[in-house]
Amino acid sequence: MPLLNDLTAAVAAGKRTDTVRLTQELLAAGTLPQAVVEQGLVPGMAIVGERFKKNEIFVPEMLVAARAMKEALKLLEPLLAQAGIKPKYTAIIGTVQGDLHDIGKNLISMMWRGANFAVVDLGTNVSPEKYLAAAQEHKAHLVGLSALLTTTMPAMKETVRAIKAAGLSGTKIMIGGAPITQEFADDIGADGYAADAGTAVDVAKQLVSEAA
Amino acid sequence: MTGCERVERMFARRDQDRVPRCDAYWPETITRWQREGLQWDHSDALRLLGTDFQSLCWSWPAAFPGQREVLAQDAETETVRDAWGGVARFWKGRSGTPEHISFGCDTREAWETIYRPAMLARPNQIDTRLAALRFQEGRQLGRWTHLTGVEGFEALRRLIGDEACLIAMIEDPDWIRDIVTVHTDVVLRSLEGVIAEGVEPDGLWIYGDMAYNHATMCSPAMYRDLVWPAHKRMADWAHARGLHVIYHTDGRVSDVLDLYIAAGFECLQPIEAKAGMDIRKFAPTHGSRLAMFGNIDVMKMGTNNLGLIEEEIRTKFAAGMATRGYAYHSDHSVPPQVSWQTYQAIIGFIDRYGTY
Repeated sequence: MPLLNDLTAAVAAGKRTDTVRLTQELLAAGTLPQAVVEQGLVPGMAIVGERFKKNEIFVPEMLVAARAMKEALKLLEPLLAQAGIKPKYTAIIGTVQGDLHDIGKNLISMMWRGANFAVVDLGTNVSPEKYLAAAQEHKAHLVGLSALLTTTMPAMKETVRAIKAAGLSGTKIMIGGAPITQEFADDIGADGYAADAGTAVDVAKQLVSEAA
Repeated sequence: MTGCERVERMFARRDQDRVPRCDAYWPETITRWQREGLQWDHSDALRLLGTDFQSLCWSWPAAFPGQREVLAQDAETETVRDAWGGVARFWKGRSGTPEHISFGCDTREAWETIYRPAMLARPNQIDTRLAALRFQEGRQLGRWTHLTGVEGFEALRRLIGDEACLIAMIEDPDWIRDIVTVHTDVVLRSLEGVIAEGVEPDGLWIYGDMAYNHATMCSPAMYRDLVWPAHKRMADWAHARGLHVIYHTDGRVSDVLDLYIAAGFECLQPIEAKAGMDIRKFAPTHGSRLAMFGNIDVMKMGTNNLGLIEEEIRTKFAAGMATRGYAYHSDHSVPPQVSWQTYQAIIGFIDRYGTY
């Protein structure tokens, strides 16, 4: 449908006004809200993720795209809730205990929302107990741990240990942040690692599909 | 050879007796080292390292200098309204990046009616007498003395926040240019005040983190358009006074090295290894035009594996020293995972591999 393609292009370009207008037009034309999300908005954010990974766009362009999608979701979410439609996957995200940094976590959160995950953002300085409680409460498919500082990396290990010890079989754990490497992720038993916000979507999708 | 001579020769790519040295430490690292045998504080660690650098002052102009209003606190943190009008949560008694909760300067209107006039009304926010005393101390110790100033991009993020700043770079670039310009005006006027006090520094060390582990925060083109002119202005100001220019940024900046050189930056620090920066790659291509200061991986230091650390220092020193334009610094700040015994061994490796 041409309007859905236009919507995808508008989101990818971060055109907020066009994104909202096209969403309204699609709904007025009888397009189901779920189709608007899955065939219009999500592909737009996928383009953003791909271009970001290749350094064709940078954080400002990613932010305006995520904001455009957020504005469209304000129109769509009440309709989706009314129809009883929820995102297939739920992710918990936060910055680990001892770390108050949040820009990396916020970017991943935006990109996961853009990939149609339900995202519960626990904020910063999140204890292992709080991650675990949230994962249990929301039946999370994915838990994302962020850390900026080398000094807070040990808190990731503690959090991974706490979640694994609780035996949440359907919950995968993913880590990221400036000092984090794949080697460190392997070392502490995390299920996945992503070096940037674009890759974080790919890894998240792969992990939840493995768990399904 | 004094530290000052050493650093001057580094900028001139002339032989030195050894590579110049400086370092930074997390406060928790110093606390650990004090338990393990370090007698005093970070300045003692720097003295044992043999630092060649002496900072005279720090210029990061605020709209409301001295403002620090504690709004809330718990056992671990306190929430403070700061001198830039923002609200942030800080750790009590330990280091770390604060959580920025809100920014007072959150619209262009707030900037134009409150923050811009406030900043311009306080053109000199440096204790020039203290800077003069530090200059005398630096000269007595034979160190290379430098003014320190924060650049426009870092100032933007602190004043209006990451998200607003980065979105405005697309949607309201003139606002961004104005903030960067006003900030740079005030920094340079403040630094001019230090020189007016009779201080004769050797260099200007510009601080600004404009990248993270994946890339620069904005595209090189956007940097060139919105921030780079202020970088060049700061470098031009320094060069007009016979000062060399060091630029500090964390993160992966490999795509803007040529822009730094064009701005007049002569030295890059600390060259963050965990962001994929490696002077073994960049020294051969850029080392004749841009001195390399740092790049010794704190993640490797934190393993306390002396073989691994020695290899890191040996190979990177070899690459940097081949251009005569290299100085030692960790690639960020030495973390508390590094024992005092390990750091003493690191100093030994610097002695061994850092001699010309």
